[in-house]
Amino acid sequence: MKQDTMGSTDAKDAERAADLLVTVATTLNERLAVTTHELARSQDLLREASDELMTAFRGAADRIVAAQRGEAESGGEKATEYGLVLDHLYRAVQHLQSHDLVNQLIDAQKLRVGKMREKLEEALSLATPPVTQPHQAERWIERSRAMLDCIVAGIRQIDEDPREPRGDKHSAGSVDLF
Amino acid sequence: MREMVAFVLESAGYRVIEAEDGVQGLDRATATTVDLVITDQNMPNMDGLTLVRSLRELRDYKSVPILLLTTESSDSMKSQGRAAGATGWLVKPFDPATLLEVVQKVLR
Repeated sequence: MKQDTMGSTDAKDAERAADLLVTVATTLNERLAVTTHELARSQDLLREASDELMTAFRGAADRIVAAQRGEAESGGEKATEYGLVLDHLYRAVQHLQSHDLVNQLIDAQKLRVGKMREKLEEALSLATPPVTQPHQAERWIERSRAMLDCIVAGIRQIDEDPREPRGDKHSAGSVDLF
Repeated sequence: MREMVAFVLESAGYRVIEAEDGVQGLDRATATTVDLVITDQNMPNMDGLTLVRSLRELRDYKSVPILLLTTESSDSMKSQGRAAGATGWLVKPFDPATLLEVVQKVLR
């Protein structure tokens, strides 16, 4: 009788632990859903801003190039001045490329978050079917272990993601001619 | 990025034909022969390495310089580029002056 009560108490504790794990996985999944949304929003804002910036830049740059050519052909004095403006635009070109790299970084983060969410959802699906023999602590422990394994697998696959941008500051701008 | 490259080349007097991805790039390259191809690696529909291989199979593009301009900087990717028949590998972000130097060099 006493042993039964103890076994029942252990099962209750194990059930609470499994419930706690479900709460943690659910909360984390909800937070990651918000992160996914925010990353997508950041990417949209970045895209809109860079499109506008690029259109304006290209419009200005094309006019400067045309004006410089016109001046050079007519032997005008402003050709040198236009050349200086072009130098400034060239410098801007290097920095305007940042949006492309930032976009790729956001893509990599979205992929990571998406993979983690998939595993959290998989872990939560393990918590759905009723536990057979709920009075036995082992059953709850098995369930918790399966959920934890799933979450750990999610964390591991994040680190193994091959699509992360490999570019670094040392290789940026490097040239290899074969 | 494509617009940046086009601006730099056009400002230096080159005529530029742009394409949105590898498939469109291959279509445009077969419609008219160009003196130089600059392509990204990561593109929708067809990546840069596939484009390089496809172009090298065309008679008109056996010896046309093809540059890959990409964020990818690993040695293995560069080796794949070389094996595919690329002429050079440039890592983004590019410096306009360097790009023009490389273009002049490979066009000689």
